Amino acid sequence: MTETGKDDMFLDALFSEAREDAQDAASPDLLARVLQDAEAEQDSWTSAPAPVDTAAPRGVFATFVEALGGWPALGGLAMAGVAGVWIGVAPPEALSAEMAAVLGDDTALVMGLGSETGFFGELADAGEGDG
Amino acid sequence: MPLDATPELSDDVLLIRFANGDRAAARTLTLRLTPRVLAQATRMLGNRAEAEDVAQEAMLRLWKIAPDWRQGEAQVSTWLYRVAANLCIDRLRRKPPAPIEDVPEPADDAPNAEGQMQTRERLSALDGALARLPERQRQAVILRHLENLGNPEIAEIMDISVEAVESLTARGKRQLAQILAPRREELGFEDD
Repeated sequence: MTETGKDDMFLDALFSEAREDAQDAASPDLLARVLQDAEAEQDSWTSAPAPVDTAAPRGVFATFVEALGGWPALGGLAMAGVAGVWIGVAPPEALSAEMAAVLGDDTALVMGLGSETGFFGELADAGEGDG
Repeated sequence: MPLDATPELSDDVLLIRFANGDRAAARTLTLRLTPRVLAQATRMLGNRAEAEDVAQEAMLRLWKIAPDWRQGEAQVSTWLYRVAANLCIDRLRRKPPAPIEDVPEPADDAPNAEGQMQTRERLSALDGALARLPERQRQAVILRHLENLGNPEIAEIMDISVEAVESLTARGKRQLAQILAPRREELGFEDD
């Protein structure tokens, strides 16, 4: 037999022995550790429910806030409301003059009602004319 | 009880069952795949303790990827061999090669203690010779001749062509023969 042939046979026999030897190579301790990892992994999937399941039911107020655009939008809305009330209670001077020009002076209105002039006076006059 | 209680089920099917929480599938896959990945890592690293760490880590990665595993896309064993090979190569590159660990003595009362001792000696010689091969040759020889995989599967694991696998295994085998030839008789192979 040639040297190469002998080498091949020798190596093939060695490989064959090594393959048989590897069959029982894993120790019970290693197998137990691997199995423990496997079961821990499975447990982690079942013990970590989806976020949707754990979320508290959404309240009406939360839905309302979200519909308005969240808390920042709600803050802006509240500020606008407060400003409106404040302007109504204590209007700035400049605003009073402007409003008087547009809507008429409330003092004149009161006086007008008393002297039967102005809008209500005209109504009264018209009523008298009809009668 | 047989090690693999469901030999008719493929690794693919078992992995999907595992992902669905099947404990029996976890057990079968552990018993079926751990010895293979351990054998590969032991031959690659030449160190049993490190090989066990690699085997456990490779199996852990398999467990973690299980829910995303797509059936038929890759072979589970190919994927696992590849992960284990990469883990081994990482370790080999991080530190100089460790000496081959001592082979435990067989028990005195074993009926064929002498035969076992010679087998141990031969396997130890093989491990020593494998450790002297370049990394890629060693990996190819282990997968081809010790894990009995086909060249196309090895090519996939090593991410090279089938021709490159053939070349690596042929060169690796030649070099192993050169290393071991002087010990042929000593290891119980008659030179007639």
